[in-house]
Amino acid sequence: MLAYLLRRLLWMVPTFLGILVINFGVLRLQGPTLSEEMDKSIRNDGARNADLVATGVENYLGRFRSTGLDLPALVNLRGFTDIDDVVALLRATERGPAVLEHERNRAEKDLWLMGRLLVEPLAAIVADDALAELHGPASMALSLCAYYPLNPEDLGRLTPEQQRQRQTRNHALKGLRIEYANTREAGFATTDPDAAGKRAAIAAFWQANREDFARDGATAWRALVVETGFCDFMRKLFTGTLYSHQRKQWVFSLIADRWHVTFWLNFASIAIAWCISIPLGIRSARRLGTFEDAATTNVLFLLWSVPSFFVGTLFLHHLCTDTSTGKAWFPNRGMSSEGALWLSTPRYLLDLLWHAFLPLVTLCYASFTSLSRYMRADILEQLRSDYVRTARAKGCAEDRVVYHHALRNSMVTMITLGSGLLAELFGGFVFVEYIFSIPGLGSLLLDAARSNDAPLVMGSTVVSVGLLLIGILIADVLYAVADPRIRSRYG
Amino acid sequence: MEKVKIALLVIVGLLLLVQVVDRSRQPEQLAAVKQSVDELASAVKRSASTDADVVRALERLNASLTSGAVRAPTTDAPTSDPIRDGVPKLGVNFLKPVDWSPYDPAKVKGTLKYFELPPTTLNDILSNDLSTRTANGHFNSALISVDPAAPDTDCENLATSLIIENDYQSFTYRLRPGLKWQRPNIAGQAKFAWLDQEVPCTAHDFVFYLDIVRHPDVQCPALKGYYESVDKVEALDDLTLRITWKRREYTNLNMSNGMTPLPRHVYTRFEDGSEIPAAQVPVVFNQHWFDEMKQGIGVGNYRVESFEPSKTLTFIRDPGFWGPSMHFERIEWDGVTIQPDAKLVAFKNGQVHFYETMTPAQYKSEILDGGEKRFDREDGRAGPLGWERIAGIEGRGVYQYFVWNQVRPLFADKRVRRALAHAFPKQRIIAEVYHGLGSPQISTISPGHPYQNKDLVDIPFDLAAARALLAEAGWADSDGDGWLDRAGDGGRIPFRFKATYFGPNVTLPLVFAIYRDQLKELGIELSLDPCEAKELDRRQDDKDFDMMAGGWASSMSVDYEQIWHSKYADQPKSSNYGGFKNARVDELAGKLRLTFDRDERIAIAKELDAIIYDEQPYLFFISRAYLFVWQNRPDGPDDKRSTLDGVITELDRFHPWFNRAKSHWHLRRD
Repeated sequence: MLAYLLRRLLWMVPTFLGILVINFGVLRLQGPTLSEEMDKSIRNDGARNADLVATGVENYLGRFRSTGLDLPALVNLRGFTDIDDVVALLRATERGPAVLEHERNRAEKDLWLMGRLLVEPLAAIVADDALAELHGPASMALSLCAYYPLNPEDLGRLTPEQQRQRQTRNHALKGLRIEYANTREAGFATTDPDAAGKRAAIAAFWQANREDFARDGATAWRALVVETGFCDFMRKLFTGTLYSHQRKQWVFSLIADRWHVTFWLNFASIAIAWCISIPLGIRSARRLGTFEDAATTNVLFLLWSVPSFFVGTLFLHHLCTDTSTGKAWFPNRGMSSEGALWLSTPRYLLDLLWHAFLPLVTLCYASFTSLSRYMRADILEQLRSDYVRTARAKGCAEDRVVYHHALRNSMVTMITLGSGLLAELFGGFVFVEYIFSIPGLGSLLLDAARSNDAPLVMGSTVVSVGLLLIGILIADVLYAVADPRIRSRYG
Repeated sequence: MEKVKIALLVIVGLLLLVQVVDRSRQPEQLAAVKQSVDELASAVKRSASTDADVVRALERLNASLTSGAVRAPTTDAPTSDPIRDGVPKLGVNFLKPVDWSPYDPAKVKGTLKYFELPPTTLNDILSNDLSTRTANGHFNSALISVDPAAPDTDCENLATSLIIENDYQSFTYRLRPGLKWQRPNIAGQAKFAWLDQEVPCTAHDFVFYLDIVRHPDVQCPALKGYYESVDKVEALDDLTLRITWKRREYTNLNMSNGMTPLPRHVYTRFEDGSEIPAAQVPVVFNQHWFDEMKQGIGVGNYRVESFEPSKTLTFIRDPGFWGPSMHFERIEWDGVTIQPDAKLVAFKNGQVHFYETMTPAQYKSEILDGGEKRFDREDGRAGPLGWERIAGIEGRGVYQYFVWNQVRPLFADKRVRRALAHAFPKQRIIAEVYHGLGSPQISTISPGHPYQNKDLVDIPFDLAAARALLAEAGWADSDGDGWLDRAGDGGRIPFRFKATYFGPNVTLPLVFAIYRDQLKELGIELSLDPCEAKELDRRQDDKDFDMMAGGWASSMSVDYEQIWHSKYADQPKSSNYGGFKNARVDELAGKLRLTFDRDERIAIAKELDAIIYDEQPYLFFISRAYLFVWQNRPDGPDDKRSTLDGVITELDRFHPWFNRAKSHWHLRRD
């Protein structure tokens, strides 16, 4: 049994990591790219956006650096780019008669946001006389790639001297930009009268900061896996510093703040659904072919076919709305009345029940069908088996046959179904939260997904996956308890 | 026996449940009690120093009254002064004095509750969210306010005087004496006792604001863009602030006037009250403990009472506020109710005082079709629930348009664009699709704005005129197939185009269905092209569309350059979506930015509007109206003293959805 448990526990680690990698990858793939995110921010920021694109990109770097969005998702190959690669990247940002503006724009932003590993080849391009037409765009990219916006984490990591040095360097970078034109007709053309002076300044900058930006094999290989969005996320996850920059709050405190409402609501709805469905399934199976069985089946499928959001809205309008003639039967929002904190506990519980009644009905009526049908099918299968016939032949009472013999063996299916319950407790039911104005997790996570709040989505995924794995582990243990074959296999 | 056992088990289970719940509630109850005790202790402490403060405050007020910095509360309207008329002038204080007349301290009462989604943070430097700015508008104040009756004129606010010098590049503000920072809620806690003190708000707090905004390590790219051309900001003394800009531009005035102070005494300190090293202040600001504790303070007429991000936000009137404030004792924002059906039910159940975003479908079912009997269908003000159509804030409406892609040959001809405007049955669409919740939009400036060109009349729905214009532009049905065509590269080009719009919008397809029928009459084929947001952005950037539907919210600040200047026509991400180019518009838009005289500015704006109207680069079609519903019964929601009729009177004076004419009821009606 211990070997069985250990084996299950060890499998959980790669499963957990695998799910996180896939989730992270999907989130990055379906979410906006960094350049799109920046364009969106600039657009949302309104008014002077057209000017901002050209002059204020560094203002956005701090925001992206804090979120880890400036790093590639899973593999960072930036340390292996050579001059030819960077020249190709620069060429992709050049305007021309056949160039699509949105592709050029994206290539430009992607290049600008590539960070410190590109400083070395960019400095080499500026120093190369043969690449004169690229000096302008290369200096622009260099000034942004070398820019290091400080964030609160740096205060603990860097000495005050290092902080000052970075701030001073950031300030000087703007002065290194060689002015250039980029037109559809002529492509790149340097327009800066002081281009030579700025090239010399870039050379001096490179010499002075070589230590920070130089790439050797070790740096590139280290960056390959470590300097990635996934590693950044995992580091924040394990240090408990996952932060939602959109909501300006720590992810886990956001989740903790909303979790209890969702937890209690889901717990109650699952408990009700199971407590009603299992006896209903057993009763149906025992009365197979009778009018009661047919009626139960039909009514349950009828309920199942009515969408919950529709039922919820009907409840809201007809049972929760005051009219010109009277007050509503049920409250229309929240989980408790105002001032409920000071009610006596029995009254508080009654108040809670009154508020939760309609949301619970809306949540759980649809589950009756599937759960009770599973139960009915399983019991029927067991009742037709040989051991049940034997038990009956021995003279066992029918109740004992059903509840002692058949039900126990039907439990494997229910355990399988139950393995996801813990994770379900965490998941919110968005429509119920919206219709009955309950500030739970569902609405929070939907908003997070809509607004591409990656840290919050990933934080909730971690909790959800963790609970799912724990649920599966418990189910595995229960399988072993319910099924002697598993116990005997692992000793 | 079995049943008795089960009954006993149930009873024991229930008792256990009660016990568990009882225990779990205790920490919350204790926390609430502790908070009340802290607040009480803080109030007692404050009241102990009140007597001495009152004497000092009276002395200060007396001195201010003598110096003219503060006017005594009076029921008279402000006197008319040709210099202090609120219209910007060089070298003199032109600010209108504070209008105390609508304010009556005896009227202060009640709680106003309404739907408003609270922000995620109260820090309006880090968050560009409209909700954050609205919240800050309650608990903080700007240097200058605008006169709601004439929104393009400026009034005293935190500054009592403004002198513009150096050819509109330097702005010198004299601050109101005696301004005090509010104390945050946490000041009552022993840990934050260092915050429980009176701190004056000075010119240095405004300098600090700009230092923070302009610092490269502070993550506020949008604001940085607005203030990037500030040359210098100085506190000449505690009450004198000077801002100098690098360039002379009209927009500088609004940006300077809109500045709010930032509490230096909070944001330069750690949680324990110790000072943050100066070089680290901007970095720490990005994730400051004060914001994480969901705090916000200012020098406004309300202070934050409680704040749960994205859930609830309540304000309580600040008795120390210097000026005339709203008459509500408290204001509560409800951000939990989001879904439109839930909002309607919450309003009908009397849980909020008003509701201003009722959908056209709800309007039809609840009011027009008589679904809710408490609305009086005929007279909106007569029923227990009141209703009124509001055509937006005076001059600041939200309107919708179709932009023609003028880079494409199909829409390059002005006559074609005018013909397409003639074929659009605006009145019918407003009546049938929007159930009357809107009025025709004629040009770029919304009705009611002082810059509006009233000589422009809406292009009438007239298919004959449209046909004539199209024929003039060379469009004819040459092959008799019922569709218009014209000679072009490689043969005849049929007149067909796609309407690109945001796919989830369910109203626009109804609009297009009506428009398509009219265009079909003319021989033009219209097809629909719904897109998701991302694809819509791409199409807009690449000008990869024929016609695109969109909307704008017009503001009081008039600036044509960003949307209409030719230099942005070919620039990606610019707001000149249709590629509009007109040399005269370029000239006038540039001139408008450098013109400061109000009459001159109005004349330029009117000429600009006339050119744009003539060119029809956009088909402006509806200025959206909103349905404002309110509790119209004396037994209002939770606070019976604050009758809803009273609330409307209050809003009448202060809520931005209403204008400020001096009548009891003056919503601008359709």
